[in-house]
Amino acid sequence: MTTAAQPPRDLVPLLRLRARSAVLLALVSLVGLAAYAWPFVVDPGAALDTSHSGDAPWFFVVLLPLLAAVVVAELSAGGMDAKAVALLGMLAAIGAALRALGPGAAGLEPSFIVIVLGGRVFGRGFGFVLGAVTLFAGAMITGGVGPWLPFQMFAAGWVGLFAGMLPQWRGRREIGLLAAYSIVAGLGYGMLINLWFWPFAAYAPEVTYVAGDSVVENLHRYAVFWATTSLGWDVPRGVLTAVAVVLAGTPLLSALRRTARRAHFGSPEEDAMTSAR
Amino acid sequence: MRSVDYPGYARPLHSGAWWLWGLGLAAAASRTTNPVLCLLILAAAGFVVMARRSRAPWAYAFGAFLKLGLLIIAVRIVLQAVLSSQSQGIHVIVDLPEIPLPAWAAGLKLGGLITWEAVLTAFSQGLQLATIICCVGAVNALASAQRLLRSVPGALYEVGVAAVVALTFAPQLVSDAVRVRSAQRLRGYDGGGLAGLRRTAMPVLEGALGRSVELAAAMDSRGYGRTTDVAVGARRFTAALVFTGVLGVAVGMYGLLDASVTGWLGLPMLGVGCLLAAGGLVVGGRRTRRTRYRPDPWALPEWLVVTAGVGCAVMFFVVAARSPGAAVPAYPLDIPQVPVLALVGALVGALPAVLAPPTPDRSPESGAVGQAAAGASEELSS
Repeated sequence: MTTAAQPPRDLVPLLRLRARSAVLLALVSLVGLAAYAWPFVVDPGAALDTSHSGDAPWFFVVLLPLLAAVVVAELSAGGMDAKAVALLGMLAAIGAALRALGPGAAGLEPSFIVIVLGGRVFGRGFGFVLGAVTLFAGAMITGGVGPWLPFQMFAAGWVGLFAGMLPQWRGRREIGLLAAYSIVAGLGYGMLINLWFWPFAAYAPEVTYVAGDSVVENLHRYAVFWATTSLGWDVPRGVLTAVAVVLAGTPLLSALRRTARRAHFGSPEEDAMTSAR
Repeated sequence: MRSVDYPGYARPLHSGAWWLWGLGLAAAASRTTNPVLCLLILAAAGFVVMARRSRAPWAYAFGAFLKLGLLIIAVRIVLQAVLSSQSQGIHVIVDLPEIPLPAWAAGLKLGGLITWEAVLTAFSQGLQLATIICCVGAVNALASAQRLLRSVPGALYEVGVAAVVALTFAPQLVSDAVRVRSAQRLRGYDGGGLAGLRRTAMPVLEGALGRSVELAAAMDSRGYGRTTDVAVGARRFTAALVFTGVLGVAVGMYGLLDASVTGWLGLPMLGVGCLLAAGGLVVGGRRTRRTRYRPDPWALPEWLVVTAGVGCAVMFFVVAARSPGAAVPAYPLDIPQVPVLALVGALVGALPAVLAPPTPDRSPESGAVGQAAAGASEELSS
C-alpha cells in the first residue's frame, strides 16, 4: 500500500470495501433503486405494468430481502473481525434503543444521528451495514417487522454509505457538512420510503399512481402525495438530526474516533505506518 | 416419534414455521377485497395469537399492529372520500361545504359530496391492506426474533452476531441511562433541559463504546471469527455465483420494466438470477463451520403449521379464480358473498391454535436469559 493511498489519520475504515464489493454494492443499489422508482420508469404493456394486475409491488417485497442478504454477506466476507462485529452490534444497539424510545411521532428519528456519524467515522462500507442492521434490530425490538423493513434497511444503508463518502473536512466545516447532509438525508429517506407503498394505494386519483402515465405526470402526483402526507414527518426528522449534529457532533465524533484508536483497528504494520507519519 | 413431534409437548415452535404460516395468511388476504373474507382471515390470525403467544415483551405486538390497521383504514377513507374531487357514486351521505384549493394541488378538493360508494370502497381496500399487515403482526407476536437469528445462513454469520449483540444490549442501554441519571441526581444535577440530556447521553455512549472494545477482546480470546481455509477456486466460484446472480436480477428487472423486451429476458432471467445469488449465499456460508448449541428442532408440529398457512393461501387462490365476484366485489354496496371454500380456508388458517405446541410456562425473564446465553452474548456473562 502506498502512502498516498493512506486515509487521514482519524478516518478508520472498519470494513474494507474491496473493489469487488464496491461493484456489487453499486449493482445491488441500482436494482434496489429500481425497487423504489419503478413506477416512474415502467413501460406501458411491460410485465410490471400494474394495469394488468395489482401484484407488481409485492414482487419487490420478495426480491429485496434476498438482495440485502447478498450485499451484506459480500461486505462482511471481506474480513469483519471481532472488533468490527462488536462495534457494529453496539452502535446498532444504540440506534435501535433510540428507535424504540423515540416514538417515531413527528418524524423524530434519533437513530439517524448514529447512522450518519458511524458511517462518517468508520467508512462507507461499515455505514451501509450499520444503517441496515440498526433498522433491522430496531424492528425486532419493537415487533415492527413487516414488508416495509427491507425498504427501510436499504434506505438507511444508503444514508450511512453516503455519510462515509463525504469529503474529509475537519473542525467546524465538518459539523456544517454533516448537519447539511442530515437534512438532505432526512428528506431523501422519507421520499424513498413512501415510494414502496405508493403504487399499492388507491387514494384520491390526483395523488395516486397511474400505471402507464408519463413520468412527469406521475412525478407530479407523487410530489403532491409526498407534500400532503409525509413532508410533516420528513422535515422534522432532517432538522432534528441536523440540530443534534450541531449541538453534540463534536463530542460524539471524538468519542467514536477515540474508540477506534483505543481498539487498534487495523493490522500492526498499518498502525506503525500511521504513527510514523 | 420423538417427543418434539407430539403437539402437546410444550416448547416454542420454530420461528421459521410461524413466518411461513403468517406469509400464507397474508397471501390469502392479498387475493380478496371482500370485507367479510378479510375479517375472517384477521380473526383466524388473532385467534392463533391469543392461543399460542408467549409472555415475552414482543408478544404484545399484535395489538399495536391492529391499531396500525385502523389508522390505515382511517387514512384511506379520509384521502379517498374527502379529498378526491371525482364523485364515485350516487348514494350521498353528506354534502360538506367545499373549499377550493390552489392549482398546484391538481384538482384535490376539501369537503364537498361524500358518497357511500367512496367510503365503502376505501374501507374494503384499507381493510385488505390492514389484514395483510396484521398477519405479519401476528408472526411478530408469535415468533422470537433471537431464535430466528440463530438460523441465519452461514454467509451472514458476522452480521447475525452483530444483530444478536444489538438485541441483547439495547434494553441494557436504557438501564444504563437510568443509572447515570440517578448518579447525577446524587451529585445535585437536575436532569432537565438540553444540557441534562447531553450529560446523560454522553456517559451512556462512552460506556457502550468501551463495552464494545471489551466485548471484542472477549470474542477474540474465545476464538471468534475463526474461518475454515477455503481454496481460492471455491472463493472465486462463490464470487462468480453472486455476481452472475445479481447481474441476472438486474437484467431481468430491465426486462420486466421494458415492454419491447419479452420472453426469457424478463421473469425467467430474474428467477435464475435469484437462484444463483441464493446459491452464492449457501456456498459462501461454508467458510464458517460452526456447531449449534441446542438447535431448534423442525418436527411434525412445524410441518403442520406450515401446511395450515399454505392450505389457507391455496384455498383463497382457488376462490379468487373460481368466483372472482366473491373475492373482489364489483359494487361496494352489494352484500358480500361468502363461498364455503373461503370459510374452510379461514378455519384451516386458524388450526395452528391447536396444532402448535403450547408455549412453555416459564417466566419471561428466564426465557430471555436463556436466549441471550445461546447467542454471542454468552461471552459477556463471564
